[in-house]
Amino acid sequence: MNSVHKPDVAVETAVKPAVKPIVELKDVNKWYDDFHCLKDINLTVTPGERIVICGPSGSGKSTMIRCINRLEAHQSGEIIVDDVVLHEHMQGIDKVRSEVGMVFQSFNLFPHMTIAENCMAGPMWVQGVPKGEARRLAMKYLEQVRIPEQADKYPGQLSGGQQQRVAIARSLCMKPKLMLFDEPTSALDPEMVSGVLDTMIDLAKEGMTMLCVTHEMGFAREVADRVIFMADGEIVEENTPGEFFDNPREARTQQFLSQIL
Amino acid sequence: MKIITRILATTLISALPFASVMAGEALDRVMDKKLLKVATDANWAPQSFLNDKNEMDGFDVNVAQEVAKRLGVEIEFVTPAWDIITAGRWSGRWDLSIGSMTPTTERAKVLTFPAVYYYTPASFVVHKDSDAQQVSDLDGKKVGVTTASVHERYLQKDLTIDAEGVPNFDYEVDTDFIKSYQSSNVVLDDLRLGNGSRLDGALTSVPTINEAMKNNYPIKPLGKPVFFEPLALAIDKGDQEFNDRLAAIVAEMRADGTLSKLSQKWYNYDYTSTQ
Amino acid sequence: MQEARLLSKTPFVVALYAAFFVLLFLVDMSGTGFAELLAPAIGSDGEGSVYARFVTSVTLSAIITLGIWLIGKLQFNAQRVTVWLIMAGLFMLFFTSFDLSFEFIQSKIWFMVSQGILTTLYISVVSISIASVLAIIGAVAKLSSNGFANGLASFYTSFFRGLPLLMQVYLIYLGLPQLGFVIDAVPAGILALSLCYGAYMTEIFRAGIESIPKGQWEAARSIGFKFGLTMRRIILPQAIPLIIPPTGNQFIAMLKDSSLVSVIGVWELMFLARTLGQKDFKHMEMLITAAMLYWILSMVLEYAQSHIERRYRKG
Repeated sequence: MNSVHKPDVAVETAVKPAVKPIVELKDVNKWYDDFHCLKDINLTVTPGERIVICGPSGSGKSTMIRCINRLEAHQSGEIIVDDVVLHEHMQGIDKVRSEVGMVFQSFNLFPHMTIAENCMAGPMWVQGVPKGEARRLAMKYLEQVRIPEQADKYPGQLSGGQQQRVAIARSLCMKPKLMLFDEPTSALDPEMVSGVLDTMIDLAKEGMTMLCVTHEMGFAREVADRVIFMADGEIVEENTPGEFFDNPREARTQQFLSQIL
Repeated sequence: MKIITRILATTLISALPFASVMAGEALDRVMDKKLLKVATDANWAPQSFLNDKNEMDGFDVNVAQEVAKRLGVEIEFVTPAWDIITAGRWSGRWDLSIGSMTPTTERAKVLTFPAVYYYTPASFVVHKDSDAQQVSDLDGKKVGVTTASVHERYLQKDLTIDAEGVPNFDYEVDTDFIKSYQSSNVVLDDLRLGNGSRLDGALTSVPTINEAMKNNYPIKPLGKPVFFEPLALAIDKGDQEFNDRLAAIVAEMRADGTLSKLSQKWYNYDYTSTQ
Repeated sequence: MQEARLLSKTPFVVALYAAFFVLLFLVDMSGTGFAELLAPAIGSDGEGSVYARFVTSVTLSAIITLGIWLIGKLQFNAQRVTVWLIMAGLFMLFFTSFDLSFEFIQSKIWFMVSQGILTTLYISVVSISIASVLAIIGAVAKLSSNGFANGLASFYTSFFRGLPLLMQVYLIYLGLPQLGFVIDAVPAGILALSLCYGAYMTEIFRAGIESIPKGQWEAARSIGFKFGLTMRRIILPQAIPLIIPPTGNQFIAMLKDSSLVSVIGVWELMFLARTLGQKDFKHMEMLITAAMLYWILSMVLEYAQSHIERRYRKG
């Protein structure tokens, strides 16, 4: 635990040492050529925790969560996901990825497959679930995100908000232990945002472990256990939502909040 | 184009020296399969060409059919480019070439010539308006030939023909204006344009001259043939038995008049001897 | 539209007329068949005289300018059809000037179709199929992070795109037997065409695969797909509709390049074109017939191609 900024109260509420963490980042550094985009990141996530990560663009927040399922590789430090240390040449990265769900800003549904097929793809081809079973699974989660009636349409026929809910369902079909959200509402029309957020709130209430990169402050206040503020590749402030919004300590945090609120 | 492909083919062959020619197997292969595969050109009337029924026909084709008959086997023709045939190392793709091939020393390095089956006389030819009376009248004049042919070699005074039964010859024309063409047809096409327009004369084979005159080219042969070009069967190196067998068959065909008859049929002349 | 407006301007039409006049006067049309039609005006002995040149140039450029002016008045589609008809007519005139024997063409054309076109098509279809398989493998290898596969694939594309196709035909036909593989002319030709076009199409396939957004790869990976599975289930199904139209173009090109295998004695269209007319001194007939057959074949395929393209654009 590096943080000199971290108030004691946050440590008490967030870190429960008795429980084994599901994600641990220790002194993680990453460069894009000369650009130092992650600087000594330390973060521990315990099962069931909901963490919201915010910060100006280019602050490294997306990069950080993309390192957790190794869509990006870090160059130094250690990342441990569910007891597996991520490193180069590792076997079984696919297994780690299948346990970590990810929702992208641009949905990334497979356009040549129906909604149901999008959801069935992972269970059938990665986990070997029989087709009928995969279909039942897909329908269950499509109901959970409240669009079962769209099951046999193609992604192009759905609105952005609906597509993002499908993307969430697609991840859930893999029964992940952890969900990563990379600005899930940034590409949506304003009227579509609340549907997606409602789905995410439902998920949080069911006890899903979540790391969300988002600027939806209402969502952060409602569900987050911790809010992390990043700038210039560093974790600048880590706090409870109440403290973070009402009583930010760092100057950079205050400046950022004044811009987005 | 022809030259390029020839160079290409020759280079390729010499670049891959670790070849294994199937020694002594040709005759066995022919007799086992009861099939003689003959490589010949489909593009060279009247020696070999596609006739009105779109089948192979011509002097060379008839000779090949007779050889197959005497071997007691069926015949099949293949038609690779001439350069590929003369490059040798056939790898058993075909057994025999009957394609009016001159047995030059260079070719003898990669091919074996079992027998010469006829001789083509080479003659000078001029436009019908020409007042040349004898071959030596072309001294110092523009004379057309086919590139890399025996005719060109003759004009360059650098022709060796080392086959049996070919009479000696003299270099009867002395000129520095040798014009080389890709094909003998173009030589005659330039000659027909008029006496001296592009060429004063040409040196090519007598059957070619006759064929062109039959097609109303305004040309005439000049003097007597200056030399005889022997034309031979060719096989891949390494099967003495096959060589002897073919030599015997050709000798037989010459003796019983078959070759003369075929020559009369296609050329209206007996080219099977140099008399 | 631009031309239509230009053609309604008198100075432009006059300039056009003047340009044609000067050109035709310089070329000197007085010795041609056209001048004979004008014999009543210039006299039959006028050939070559400045007066004859002047009269023929004046008349001919008037006819051409009038024609262009009239076509300019038409609608787009009518213009297209008219231009096609005129060009086709001029070509026919050009061909008939060779004094071709249509009887001879008639007697040979069926053989050219049944033997020549069939062989050409057969070789091209088989080759393009093999080339597509090679191209998929090549493209995947080129995109992979495996240095061995990438090295092999880039060597392959560099080599077979770097050599003339004719040389590849010779290399394979003459070279392989030296290594102990004796293959006949047709398989050798197919192999050469497949390898060469496979190399070109590797680049097409690679571009097609690369045009699929990175997000598709990331989404597939994030649910645990391995490279091969992602390629097969996610990327290729999306890339192939993009790849098919340029592959069709390659096929049309291959149809014509397949003529190169005539050098190893395959009786396809080009081989017959060079061979059939030889004995009767009728090469022009056969060459022109083969040219027409190639052209018709290409047009049919281009038509099919545009249909396929439209279908995939919709999908």
